[in-house]
Amino acid sequence: MAEVVDIRARVLAANEQAAAKLRDQFRAGAALVLNLISSPGSGKTTLLEATVRALGGRLRLAGIEGDIATERDADRLRALGIPAVQILTGGACHLDARQVRKVMDEAHFPAFDVLFIENVGNLICPTSYDLGEDFKVALLSVAEGDDKPFKYPAIFARAAVTVITKADLLPHVTFDLDAVRGQVAALNPGGRLLVTSAKTGEGIATWCALIEERLATKREAEA
Amino acid sequence: MHELSIAEEIYRASRAAVAGHGAGRLECVTVAVGELAAIEPDLLKFAWQALTEGGPDVGSTLEVEWHAAHQFCVACDADKPRSDGTWLRLCPDCGRPLNVTGGMELDLLHVTFLPDGHEGAGEGSDDG
Repeated sequence: MAEVVDIRARVLAANEQAAAKLRDQFRAGAALVLNLISSPGSGKTTLLEATVRALGGRLRLAGIEGDIATERDADRLRALGIPAVQILTGGACHLDARQVRKVMDEAHFPAFDVLFIENVGNLICPTSYDLGEDFKVALLSVAEGDDKPFKYPAIFARAAVTVITKADLLPHVTFDLDAVRGQVAALNPGGRLLVTSAKTGEGIATWCALIEERLATKREAEA
Repeated sequence: MHELSIAEEIYRASRAAVAGHGAGRLECVTVAVGELAAIEPDLLKFAWQALTEGGPDVGSTLEVEWHAAHQFCVACDADKPRSDGTWLRLCPDCGRPLNVTGGMELDLLHVTFLPDGHEGAGEGSDDG
């Protein structure tokens, strides 16, 4: 006779438990954690470089970089003087909370105020995996086209902040910024949208102010 | 790719759930998938087949219980269905933001397990 075993648990329960432990750990350290998600080449690492240059003097920053192969991204952050660890997924299309826990257990980061977790370049799979972050950030470069929020709705619906990158290219590409604002607002009525260019510096101060504001809010809530 | 990693989680959790039941094989695993979970049932079933191929649970099936999105509009005081092909969180009638109250499910519900040496489990071993 076959036995029926009742389970009734979230499929991603193991990931969610690991994420909850991370969240406790980050709360205990009074640190803000961002999970950056975008397609490959939209400028996640470049935005982080600009962020480190702007905020590095005021806040202690750290980075975890997810990629299928190469240490390039972590090298770029380390070159700016912040501690960074590369997670090589070897083919997997997203980071999961267990990988991040392993880094937190083994990397011995010095204390940090803000941790940036740069996910594997992919607009789909990373969306389902909680990494213990305070919020997700979706990046969309103007060269990718202005229909992407509606085409990849899950990430734009779940990211608290959408950052438009490479705004310096706007004169050269067909990209209807207002249409994108409308799409993001429809998918995610409570979300913020920022327009940036790491090249010209446009919007970087606003982005950094948002990070400082969220960090202050988190610390006040815990105090 | 995404569905394969989800199928791996389902497999791991299913096997863990029957760990105390002795040797045997999984016959059927049932999961609940919500319309807003960003999971395609057909791809998930295909991933399950690929994953169990060549292992002790080859031939087991993955059943998907589909849960439609539930979105409530406070202004209209009514549930609003998701319009086809979009993820808009705005009421199709009044344009105000909707409260999503269901459709995010991704749950492992139950597993049917066939212990070795019981009726029905013998056929496979006779062949081998």
